[in-house]
Amino acid sequence: MAARILLIEDDPSIREATALGLGAAGYEVEAVADGVAALDAFRARPPDLVVLDVMLPGLDGLTIARTIRAASAVPIVMLTARTDALDVVAGLEAGADDYVRKPFELTELLARLRAALRRAIPADPAAGSVRRLGPLEIDEAGLTVRRAGQEIALSSTEFRLLLELARRPGQVFTREVLLDRVWGYDYLGDSRLVDVAVQRLRAKVEADPATPRLVLTVRGAGYKAARDATPER
Amino acid sequence: MVPDDDPAARPMIARGVRGRLVATVIALVALTSLVLGLGSYAYVAASLRAQSLEAAREVTNFNVGVLAVERLPASASAADLRASRLLDAFALRGASGTVVDLAGERFASGFVAAGAFDQLAPELRAVVAGGRIGYQRLSLDGRPYLVTGARRPPDGPDFYFFFDESATETAIERLGQALAAGGLLLVGVAALAGRALARRLLRPVSDASAAAERIASGDLSARLAVDSADEFGLWADAFNRMAASLEEKVAQLQAAEARERRFVADVSHELRTPLTALVAEAGLLRDHLDRLPPDARRAGELLVGDVARLRTLVDDLMEISRFDAAAESVAETEVELEAFLRAVVAAHAPEARTSMAGGPVVVITDRRRLERILGNLLDNARLHGEGRDIGLEASVEPAFGAATGTALGGPPTAELRVVVSDAGPGVAPEELARLFDRFHKADPSRHRGGSGLGLAIAAEHARLLGGALTAGLREGGGLRFELRLPVTRPLPGGDEAVTVAVQPEGSSDTATEPMP
Repeated sequence: MAARILLIEDDPSIREATALGLGAAGYEVEAVADGVAALDAFRARPPDLVVLDVMLPGLDGLTIARTIRAASAVPIVMLTARTDALDVVAGLEAGADDYVRKPFELTELLARLRAALRRAIPADPAAGSVRRLGPLEIDEAGLTVRRAGQEIALSSTEFRLLLELARRPGQVFTREVLLDRVWGYDYLGDSRLVDVAVQRLRAKVEADPATPRLVLTVRGAGYKAARDATPER
Repeated sequence: MVPDDDPAARPMIARGVRGRLVATVIALVALTSLVLGLGSYAYVAASLRAQSLEAAREVTNFNVGVLAVERLPASASAADLRASRLLDAFALRGASGTVVDLAGERFASGFVAAGAFDQLAPELRAVVAGGRIGYQRLSLDGRPYLVTGARRPPDGPDFYFFFDESATETAIERLGQALAAGGLLLVGVAALAGRALARRLLRPVSDASAAAERIASGDLSARLAVDSADEFGLWADAFNRMAASLEEKVAQLQAAEARERRFVADVSHELRTPLTALVAEAGLLRDHLDRLPPDARRAGELLVGDVARLRTLVDDLMEISRFDAAAESVAETEVELEAFLRAVVAAHAPEARTSMAGGPVVVITDRRRLERILGNLLDNARLHGEGRDIGLEASVEPAFGAATGTALGGPPTAELRVVVSDAGPGVAPEELARLFDRFHKADPSRHRGGSGLGLAIAAEHARLLGGALTAGLREGGGLRFELRLPVTRPLPGGDEAVTVAVQPEGSSDTATEPMP
């Protein structure tokens, strides 16, 4: 079954051309022009992925991203026309998983969408293994994380990031490696994707996000999962 | 506006002038009081002595002309002298001592010994022998005396009277001391007054220097206080008018420049939405070009290519307008250099020869900007170097004087050097400096694509990162661009996994697990 994509873009030409391109690539596309219609469509038929223009009339893109993220783990890819670097960070913090700058080539967008959709698919359904990281139980097959039996709602990107780190506790991952493994970027990805996702992940899994004990920063290198539940350094 | 009063903040020139002014005032006052003091000292001393002499003369006249003539007969003998008791009378009349020369025989009274006669100058005795009153000043046992001499007419005896002048001399000495002390006091007062005066006089000068200094350092709001109607006041007013007009002109220029930049940014921004649609549509069209009839296909191909060019141009314009708006911030992260360079080369000029001195190294810099610099250099080499023999050589050297290591965010400890060269036609040597100008086209007649902004953008990024981008000619033809960038290297011997990114895919000790 083809993945369903909800496209939210106010400019009719961009909307139509993008919808055509996504359709030609084999996706089922629902294209809407504003935030209210987007949330209606999202609730009526939850899509597999959301493509969201952050500069929308009416309900703005950041609010939509936050609303969708609060209800769902669905991947969100932003389209950003803004030049200010802060807007990218704001969008990522609002819950977007990745972004594509306007103007974009369809192939660029499709590559981002494919990578985002891949993250939402269980890595190895056959294995069905459950990993532990401190108090966390990470269910690879079910794409869920529990702490003391309580499920934590992670986005698919946050889950994949946690899983990547938790597979090799103590191993340092540079941002490039994480961009490659989690986001499917080569070396030219934006490392802020990693930093903001780590920040969001910590907010959900750490007891105290200000002093992380599970997902640790290695100065001058990258990130790693703690080898055991107690802090290493 | 009155600048702060710290003398150290005043320019040296004003201090020098002030010092000279104070020195001049002191010298003038010192000279004046010296002349006046010496003059009055000499005058007063002379008149005191003349007074003393006049008094002594009157006493002498009376003693000899009246008393001696009355009480002594002419050609008196020693017995006559004793009988006359003249010496006692003289003592009563103020002479401290008297010596009488009676035809070679000497009689003394008062404190004087007859021997004192020998100290009298022969000139005095000659004057007295001539029948006139003579005088001489001498010192006996350290005391000053005025000696007057006169002969009882017609032929003696000769009388010499000693008057103690120590009171007069002491008065003269006191006067000298008082005058000297007064002179010194006057010089001191003059120094203080001169300093205050000089400060006051030169205040406008140092204020003006301070204000000019502030204007020179960019604070165009500096003004002088106009608090007098003299030459300084006029000057301050003219200065203020100059500064105001300068400030106004600069503000106008800045406003115009800001408007222009704003316009470029707005235009680029407004172009972006239709351009995004165009790019998406061209992408769709490209996939269907072979289904178009041949004549429409060519138009379609051109359209697709031109949309790509337009996209590059707008992207570059937006990028450069961000530099102009100074809206850029540097985001430093660790960059595994070798893998990074490989990725940049693969994306921009896969055919380039790449060499990297030394092994894998992690540097800390702004990855996106470094990618833009090197990507633009490689694009330029491909476009203008006709794709032949593109080279990229990189090396990292410890920065001079940076012996201590540092972690993320520390000061630069190393210099990254990257040379990108091509074997294209190159440019004339005098053209090199202009390669980084915006929309500079080395050969206007040849159309090569590209926005004409790539090198300007690369140079701006390099400057923002504290580095330098220079252009030169390669030996054997072609261009050679050199980037020098201060970077920070993480502490050596850090975590063993720092270089995980460069370990070959599938190697057994990496964390590689196949993506689903």
